[in-house]
Amino acid sequence: MNATACYFVNWMEPENTAIARGLRRQDPDLLDRLIEQYQHRLLRYLIYLTGNRATAEDLFQETWLRVLERGRQYDGKHNFSTWLFTIARNLVIDLSRRRKLESLDSQAKDDETPLEIPDQSQPSAIDVVAHRELSERIMTSLAGIPADYRETMVLRFHEGLTLEEIAAVTRAPVGTVKSRLYRGMNALMPYLKGVRG
Amino acid sequence: MTHDPHQQAQELIACRSDGLTGPQQTWLQAHLASCEGCREYATAAEDLVRALRSVPITADRSLVRATQLRARVRAQELQQQQTRYRLIAISCVLVTLSTALTTPVLWQGFAWLGAQVRLPDLVWQAGFITFWTAPALAVAVLFAARGTHLEDRVRAPFHHERGA
Repeated sequence: MNATACYFVNWMEPENTAIARGLRRQDPDLLDRLIEQYQHRLLRYLIYLTGNRATAEDLFQETWLRVLERGRQYDGKHNFSTWLFTIARNLVIDLSRRRKLESLDSQAKDDETPLEIPDQSQPSAIDVVAHRELSERIMTSLAGIPADYRETMVLRFHEGLTLEEIAAVTRAPVGTVKSRLYRGMNALMPYLKGVRG
Repeated sequence: MTHDPHQQAQELIACRSDGLTGPQQTWLQAHLASCEGCREYATAAEDLVRALRSVPITADRSLVRATQLRARVRAQELQQQQTRYRLIAISCVLVTLSTALTTPVLWQGFAWLGAQVRLPDLVWQAGFITFWTAPALAVAVLFAARGTHLEDRVRAPFHHERGA
C-alpha cells in the first residue's frame, strides 16, 4: 500500500469508528447526517441496479431503515459506504425474490422502462437538451448490458469504490470484479463511441 | 490472465490505476507507447468513464426529508421497544425471584387453610395451583388479545412527493 493510501485508510478509520459507535446508539442525528452525505450516491446506485426511479426511491428509504435497525452489525473496520451498498444490494435482491424474478436483469426487464433520466435544472435550454440526450443515451446503453456488469461499473466509476470494496459488496472474487469491468466496458463501448461527458 | 498482450492491456485499462501493481503499470505504459490500438482503447475507456460520471442523478429534497423523518420515528420506536424489553426482562427476574421465595410459604399457607376448613388435600392443592397459575393465565389472555383487539392500528406511512 502506498503512502497516500495509508494516510487515507488512517483518516477514514476514526470516522468509521465514530459511525459504528453512533449506529450502535441508534443516534438519529448521525443518521440524518449520513442520509445527507450519501443521498446521491445511494440513490444513483439503486437506480442503476433497479432501472426504475420510483422503486429506487422506495428502496432508498428501506435501506436507511435497515441501516438503523442493523446498525450494531457495522463494525467500523470497513468503509461505511461498502456496508451501505451491501445493504442496498440485499434489499434489491429481496425485492427481486419477492417479485419471483430470477435475477437483477429480469427485474429491470419487468419494469419495462429503461433506466430513467432524472429531471435536472440546467443553466440553458440548449445545455438541458444536449445533456439530457447524452444522459438518455448513457442510461439506455447501461440498461442494455447485463446487471452484473452494470453494477460493477457503477460502483467502480461512479462511486469510486476499490476493487476489493466492490468484491465485498457483490460477494464476488476480485478476479471476477476485474473481468466484469473489462466485459462491461467492452459491452458499453460500441454504444458510447465518441461520447464525451 | 490471457496471453494476448492487447487483451491483457485492455483488461488492465478497464481495472484503472488502483487495481494495478507497479510492474503491471510499467508494462502497460510500455505497451501503450508502442500500440496505437490499445492507446485508442485507453482513450475510449477514459471517454466512457467521463460520460458515465456526467449523468446527473440526484436525490430529491423531499425524498431525503421523508427518509430522515421515517428514520427518526423508527429510531424512537426502537428505543421505546428496547425500554419495554428491558422492563419485561427486569419483571421476569423479579417474578422468578419472588416465585422462588414465596411458593413454599404459599404452599404451607394453603395447607394450613385446608386443615382449618378440613378440606381434602386434593381440593386445597387444586386451589393452590389455580392461584399460582392465575397471573400467568391472565397475561396469556392479554397477549392473545393483543393480536386482535389491542393491536396498534395507527401507523401513518411517510410519503414524499415524487418529482417534487
